[in-house]
Amino acid sequence: MFNLANRVQVLLNQTLTAVSVLTAAIALISVVQLYFAGVWSIDTTSISNVKAIALLKNLRSFGALHGKPKENSKIAFDLSADLTPLFHWNTKQIFVYLTAEYEGKLAGLSSRVTYWDKIITRREDATLSLKNARAKYLVWDVEKSFRGRNATLRLEWSIQPYVGAFVLGETLVGEDFAFASVKRKS
Amino acid sequence: MNLREQLTQLLTLAYVFLSAFVAWKALGLVTNSHSPIVVVLSGSMLPAFDRGDILLLWNRDQQARVGDIVVYEIADKSIPIVHRVLREHHSTEKQLLLTKGDNNMQDDLPLYAKGQLYLNQKTDLVGTAKFFFPKLGYVTILLTENQYFKFGLLGLMGISAVLTSE
Repeated sequence: MFNLANRVQVLLNQTLTAVSVLTAAIALISVVQLYFAGVWSIDTTSISNVKAIALLKNLRSFGALHGKPKENSKIAFDLSADLTPLFHWNTKQIFVYLTAEYEGKLAGLSSRVTYWDKIITRREDATLSLKNARAKYLVWDVEKSFRGRNATLRLEWSIQPYVGAFVLGETLVGEDFAFASVKRKS
Repeated sequence: MNLREQLTQLLTLAYVFLSAFVAWKALGLVTNSHSPIVVVLSGSMLPAFDRGDILLLWNRDQQARVGDIVVYEIADKSIPIVHRVLREHHSTEKQLLLTKGDNNMQDDLPLYAKGQLYLNQKTDLVGTAKFFFPKLGYVTILLTENQYFKFGLLGLMGISAVLTSE
């Protein structure tokens, strides 16, 4: 004898199993497809004309504590990149971000910070060509200052799928620049 | 209808709830997260996530990466927050993170506890989002926020229990 509860139970179980199997298959196929599209070896990116600026900020929202001004860093840059391979049938959006990686003054300290990012939802918008673009974010360090250090800029990406796993990566091109120092008033 | 039958029914019910509980806790052990499945409650990560989307978390990464979407908890605030890592600073002992919601103008500094400038990767994270499933979690939002839906569903379950116990 099957009563209503039994029927609902069986229906729910079967739906759950079917959806799980389908989801796993979709997730697997989309990652494999990205791999064959060569998304982890995009080397056509170009980052150039990097200009660094340093300035002092007094607000807590720019890292200043106890009223002491905090050194913030800003950059301007040229960027061109073709990220169309990241788009396929299961790409809802890509999040593209420009990061700088640098060593700390303290031995063993390493940092990576975001200067600029962009959300791209359509394949047609996935070719970037920026001239003298300004950083979206002012960046301050966990240490007191950036002074005298070098950093490497990289263009990184993260794919948000309609369903499935999140995939991250970076393009193979890096560009070095030196942080600016704050000009002292004489 | 005798007592033995009713007890068996009770046992079946207990079995269902217990197995769900054990599965949840086992998943927590595997992922090293006290809440391995999370339903997105705000629109601060739009257009990536909307309310009701489901995230599967993993909390065994040694380090978070810039661009990772992490779920974190702040002391004294009960609601976990799903945002993206904007900066990371790490040494061999610990990693500090600054996060931001894709749909927010500013980073998360105002959301952190008083005097807190960074998240600690080891202690503040519930996990890193690794897998995405859309919309299904909206049921739980309806259950917690919509009185009619909650009592409607409870009533339906009650009625079906009465009707099917012949």
